[in-house]
Amino acid sequence: MSTSIKIRTGNQMIAEGALHAGCQFFAGYPITPASGIYKSMIEELPKHNGVAISSPDEISALAYCIGASARGAKAMTATSGPGWSLMIETVQYALMTELPVVIAVVQRLGPSTGGATQGAQGDILLTEYCTSGAYTIPIFAPSTAEECFEVTSLAMFWAEELRTPVIVLSDKEIGMMSEDVDFDSLVSSPINYRKQPDSGSANGFKTYDFKTSSDVPLFSPVGGEHKTTITGSAHDKKGSLQKNSPETIEVLRHLQTKITSRAEEMAFIKTDDDPNADILIISFGITARTAREAVKRAREQGMRVRLVNVISLFPIPEILLKKAARGVHTVFVAEENLTGQYRSVIQHLFTDTTVIGINSLGTMITPNDILESIIL
Amino acid sequence: MTTAQSTTFLKDSVSFPFCKGCGHHHYVHNLDNALSSLQLDPKKVCIVSDIGCIGILDALFVSPHTFHTTHGRSTAFATGVELADGILNDSKLKTVVVIGDGGATIGLLHIVNAALLNVDVTVLVANNMLYGMTGGQNSGFSPLEFITPTTPEGNIVPPMDICAMIKSCGAEYVTSISATDKNLTTVIADAIAHPGFALVEIVELCTEFAIGKNKIDGKIIQTMADQHNAATLPTVFKRKEFCEEYKSKVLGRPSKIKNDSLTQKYISSLRGTRRWVIAGTAGEKVQLSSYLLMRAGILCGLHATQKNDNPVTQGSGFSLSEVVVSSDEIYYTGIDVPDVVIISSAEGLKEVTVNGTLSRSNKQTVIIMEDSLPEIVTTAKLYRVPLRSLCTPQRATTSAVAAFIAHELMIPLEAMIDSIQMHVGEKVLLYQDDVRKILPLLS
Repeated sequence: MSTSIKIRTGNQMIAEGALHAGCQFFAGYPITPASGIYKSMIEELPKHNGVAISSPDEISALAYCIGASARGAKAMTATSGPGWSLMIETVQYALMTELPVVIAVVQRLGPSTGGATQGAQGDILLTEYCTSGAYTIPIFAPSTAEECFEVTSLAMFWAEELRTPVIVLSDKEIGMMSEDVDFDSLVSSPINYRKQPDSGSANGFKTYDFKTSSDVPLFSPVGGEHKTTITGSAHDKKGSLQKNSPETIEVLRHLQTKITSRAEEMAFIKTDDDPNADILIISFGITARTAREAVKRAREQGMRVRLVNVISLFPIPEILLKKAARGVHTVFVAEENLTGQYRSVIQHLFTDTTVIGINSLGTMITPNDILESIIL
Repeated sequence: MTTAQSTTFLKDSVSFPFCKGCGHHHYVHNLDNALSSLQLDPKKVCIVSDIGCIGILDALFVSPHTFHTTHGRSTAFATGVELADGILNDSKLKTVVVIGDGGATIGLLHIVNAALLNVDVTVLVANNMLYGMTGGQNSGFSPLEFITPTTPEGNIVPPMDICAMIKSCGAEYVTSISATDKNLTTVIADAIAHPGFALVEIVELCTEFAIGKNKIDGKIIQTMADQHNAATLPTVFKRKEFCEEYKSKVLGRPSKIKNDSLTQKYISSLRGTRRWVIAGTAGEKVQLSSYLLMRAGILCGLHATQKNDNPVTQGSGFSLSEVVVSSDEIYYTGIDVPDVVIISSAEGLKEVTVNGTLSRSNKQTVIIMEDSLPEIVTTAKLYRVPLRSLCTPQRATTSAVAAFIAHELMIPLEAMIDSIQMHVGEKVLLYQDDVRKILPLLS
């Protein structure tokens, strides 16, 4: 029997996960339903000798994080849809300058101000495809408070490993709901730090150097012994502004290749399996746990159902999803948005299978919604 | 073409990319001279540049770190660099923001905030009164009657005085100077050396777009700089730099969070799931009662979830919680058919009506409702109890929860009493008294 059950919200567990992963810098701006992360980090990070600071808007919050990341700090911020909209300029900058950062986006109902206290899973495409060029941004989605800890630790790992922005895509229900969390059973990733050049190798250092396209450049901080040349403009490996030189195009390709070449390592799904399933339900976040309830009830009625909770939404875990669809005649994708955003980017994987969306707008999908859909 | 000097942070024999006669030449040379005169280790200097003609000067510097950012945001990136340096590294890195009047217009808030923080960032605003790189459009700094492609009849909006504005933010080192002033190197050096936020407005001429249609010359530029520099710099600087302040007041302080680990102490006979809705008025401890219920369940080894709802203003109107307590792991956290509904006030009743809790209730549902509220139509088992007068409005929902637990016997009452006691101490006796009064009314 565990002796360390605590009552925690998903937001608090994102903060716990960040602290565990060695986050050193947090800048925040209040927004429902993400404010709990900001509050927890302000309370806890200084105790761990880190900086947690209020910023005057979300643009500043992320820019502070990227400045701190350039100085060598493991950095993070948190927001919701309206704040995310303001951060997009700087996310692109972080991607282009290969500066690691973790951004927790706690979704609420949109568009625009939408509903501050209403849940939604409507920011899937807005978060993933926010860059000019649609570069792959790793996105991890938790469906419980415990998974909030797990995926934040994972996001921090991959941000450092790949020198790129990584998103934890939560939602209002997961973020603001309290539940019992067993601290003895929390899962975390190794604590890492972006790879650095050897001391004394200052001559010949290039800020964005790599041999093969999938390599991640060695990191040296501004203020460190290696002269750094950081720029968000198209650049060569030295960081010099260039117009379409072959090396510049190589750098731009590398920004994508370094992510996609590691896609299989990042691929992460949780399967509630029935080896003889003829139906597959794919879901994520709050809807994935609703789907687990639906699957439990469906099995009580004798149905053969497999459930996949997709944790690593992007890069899309293509091989795992294709494998999960083996032997089934229908794939259902359950998500709390109007148009089936995740379904729209994965349905091409299932060529011999019918793909059907289970969607909802403004209210949680219920187990009955799912049951009614799968009992055709 | 201009060639740089020998003791310099600039590249050897560098060609400046600026137009002939442009004030940016003076800006770059004087910045370089200032850095040299301070005898700074170039690796302890970070030049954070903005977008626009002046922003491309990063390519001219060979030895300091350069950080070419997005339009207007340079000061925010620089603030992040300094916060991480001053608090986490303490390497005394000097961060200089190179920004034009266009960048200062779009990114004004970032400059304001850096000034409010008093972080050790030096902002050098190259004010040539227009957007040069994109064709000379007017900026927030364009003078009245200034003719640009986007103010063809002459500007009718007064320019901002960045110095007055930033001084009002508590910045102590703020000054304005003409790009051709012989003191420019000293002023820039002093600003960089200042251990806190500093801003220097460097007033310049854009030879490509400002002259010709406008009557503007060095004398007018000097007058503008003088006007913005009406007050002299203080002789004593009073404010503490932000990172120093943070380190002394915030960093390393002990956590306020108590150890709140829970261990199973009681045994529950509940098998399956109970879904509770508790509704009342903001400020009457509705959400607290739900938390206490959740904790009672966890003290029995059960799983529990709690969701709260209230109007966006938080302190007024209804307050509502949904609690799920289960012997199994809780997958679905919503409530289709509630098992127990507690309503302690008119606001609570209105909300459970509006949000569909009442219409989703059926004969499996038990409703405990304040008896002064109007009649409701329901198939649920309804108990009308004078909760507010028996228990006070503040204890109404918690005592109702405890009484129903005592009535139903799925969760031992001791667990709920324990949970209440952890929060209120010996006042738990009042709640036990309430339970004794309510319990007979539930039969």
